[in-house]
Amino acid sequence: MGYKVDFKQMNHIFEQLSDEYDIYAPKRFKKQGRYSDTDIVRYDRVENIEDVVFDQKSDYPAKEVLSPITQPLFYFTEDEYRESKVNDKKILIFMRPCDVHAMERQNRVYLQNGGFEDFYYKRLQEKVKIVLMECCTGWDTCFCVSMGTNKTDEYSIGVRCLDNELLVEVKDDEFNSYFEDAANDDFKVEFIEKNQIEVKIPEIKDKEVLAKLKEHPMWQSFNSRCISCGACTIACSTCTCFTTTDIMYNENMNIGERKRTSASCQIDGFSDMAGGHSFRPTAGDRMRYKILHKFHDYKARFKDYHMCVGCGRCTSRCPEYISVTKTVEKMAAAIEEIEREGK
Amino acid sequence: MNHDIDIKKLRINCFRQSKVAGEFMLQLRVPGSLIEAKYLQIVQDIAQNWGNGTFHIGMRQTLNIPGIKYENIEEVNKYIKNYIHDIEVEMCDVDMDVNEHGYPTIGARNIMSCIGNSHCIKANVNTYQLARKIEKLIFPSHYHIKVSIAGCPNDCAKGHFNDFGIMGIAKMEYHQERCIGCGACVRACEHHATRVLSLNKDGKIDKDTCCCVGCGECVIACPTSAWTRQEKTFYRVTLGGRTGKQYPRMGKIFLNWISEEALLQVFGNWQKFSAWVMDNKPEYLHGGHLIDISGYPKFKELILDGVELNPECLVAEELYWTENEQRANIHLKPLSQHKKAGPKE
Repeated sequence: MGYKVDFKQMNHIFEQLSDEYDIYAPKRFKKQGRYSDTDIVRYDRVENIEDVVFDQKSDYPAKEVLSPITQPLFYFTEDEYRESKVNDKKILIFMRPCDVHAMERQNRVYLQNGGFEDFYYKRLQEKVKIVLMECCTGWDTCFCVSMGTNKTDEYSIGVRCLDNELLVEVKDDEFNSYFEDAANDDFKVEFIEKNQIEVKIPEIKDKEVLAKLKEHPMWQSFNSRCISCGACTIACSTCTCFTTTDIMYNENMNIGERKRTSASCQIDGFSDMAGGHSFRPTAGDRMRYKILHKFHDYKARFKDYHMCVGCGRCTSRCPEYISVTKTVEKMAAAIEEIEREGK
Repeated sequence: MNHDIDIKKLRINCFRQSKVAGEFMLQLRVPGSLIEAKYLQIVQDIAQNWGNGTFHIGMRQTLNIPGIKYENIEEVNKYIKNYIHDIEVEMCDVDMDVNEHGYPTIGARNIMSCIGNSHCIKANVNTYQLARKIEKLIFPSHYHIKVSIAGCPNDCAKGHFNDFGIMGIAKMEYHQERCIGCGACVRACEHHATRVLSLNKDGKIDKDTCCCVGCGECVIACPTSAWTRQEKTFYRVTLGGRTGKQYPRMGKIFLNWISEEALLQVFGNWQKFSAWVMDNKPEYLHGGHLIDISGYPKFKELILDGVELNPECLVAEELYWTENEQRANIHLKPLSQHKKAGPKE
């Protein structure tokens, strides 16, 4: 069913929804940007439709709702422990198509990889319903069409935001009752067909090419350009790496909590091992690892599609203007060069 | 050549005497050092019609046109009427009548600024907007004052060598739940600022808030927005800096964490303070000397009179400058030569 509602009506619907749902959406945080007098847009709980930022891509990804940067796992006292609590409400998240595809990839890593289900992720993920934010124009760093993530039908509600009203497509019958008083409309969500950027992801045909690519000098250019801050992986819709820390409340090592915190393969020390060995000591090594993970390794393991969803947030957030799409293009050129020389 | 020129009058009119007899250099004010590029045409016109075809970017960020002959000054002053009106009245909302006789005074000097956060990634504040607000409070006045505004404590604007050096600073907020313990802020603070951050055993950041200079390097370095600036902006003000042939010195911190509102009230008191020191008779005497003559305690009393300081603001109880005396014992002189502040008998 389709509907047309003004913001006032939508806020009334938000109020009714809030009995059952916590609503998360990209929200503006004024003057909290990297540079003074700039804002950031990141996911947070919202109570009004006016708080949902439609006209801008969020700086940080939707994954923060289900895998927050810091998450308490459990609390322990001697030999007893208690899991951290989550409330009983279900979760409604405003997402764009790329974000929906990113959640699919997150689900796979947290729930299906290595035959292990992550309890703390699952208990949130199984409560999620999606409000799809129609996205027909994108932004200058987007390349979802190239990654095949511009379309989805995995959503309960789809919305298009006009000046002060919303067009709504309800796919999940559960939500029709909320729109009983709304005017009918034959709105259906549309999808973007072409981004400003188009990228062709190169195929790496065998291990020999891969081995040569790893040694290719293109990666060394990042030793001076990349500052290894990790902003790209925190902004990434699909990165899942975390580290766990036990926090002891005092000198008594038997009382405390275990939490997990997002980690970044781009930060020096990520691959350090006991004994002092590090697998990827330079920024170039780390960039190579990330790019191959997003545009080769994940697909090589799961056989279907690449990990990257083309949201472009890594490019947008990079303080050193390193473009992920340009990097992929450079990698494609390097592969061509390797194959040419191999003949 | 036979000249009869009142050069002191011309100096107050913002025309500086040249070593070439009968020639002068016009100094156009640019408060906040940022104006529309169209005004370059005015500089070019003056330089080519009445000057020697060159212009100099003034040491106080004025636009200087040298080589103007005395007999052309009247015409130049007519020509710059619109510029003065646009810049002072329109842009800075200065309360003055602009006439065909050029600048009414040179007293309050051009307010210098770095580019500030209209461009710079390091800046915490919009410097030219603040400069325009201060211009309204100190100009036109025969009382001398040199102000320079920097967007951050890097002080590219060299406020430390002005009577008043203003630096835009920020109070930071730490969102612990967003911190990944990467230590980028710790390294940035150590490299650029005052080493107030450290990584604790729980993988989060400890901060020595006392010694934070409010530069915002931690915010710039943070990959997760765990560090953000508070919405309200603050300023640090150094006082009494100067260059010169007698006893140059760097300014010392007078106010820290002052709000813009309170800062503007401080500048609102400058003319009153100067008038008291000189018993309402302005002389060609730089602002820093007025503070010397009155002494810091009296300065503090008068400049803060009626100012509603924000609760975060700290004020120097005492100020001890370190002068670079151009000769030893330069302050030793007969008592009769000492300057005195306040109403004369």
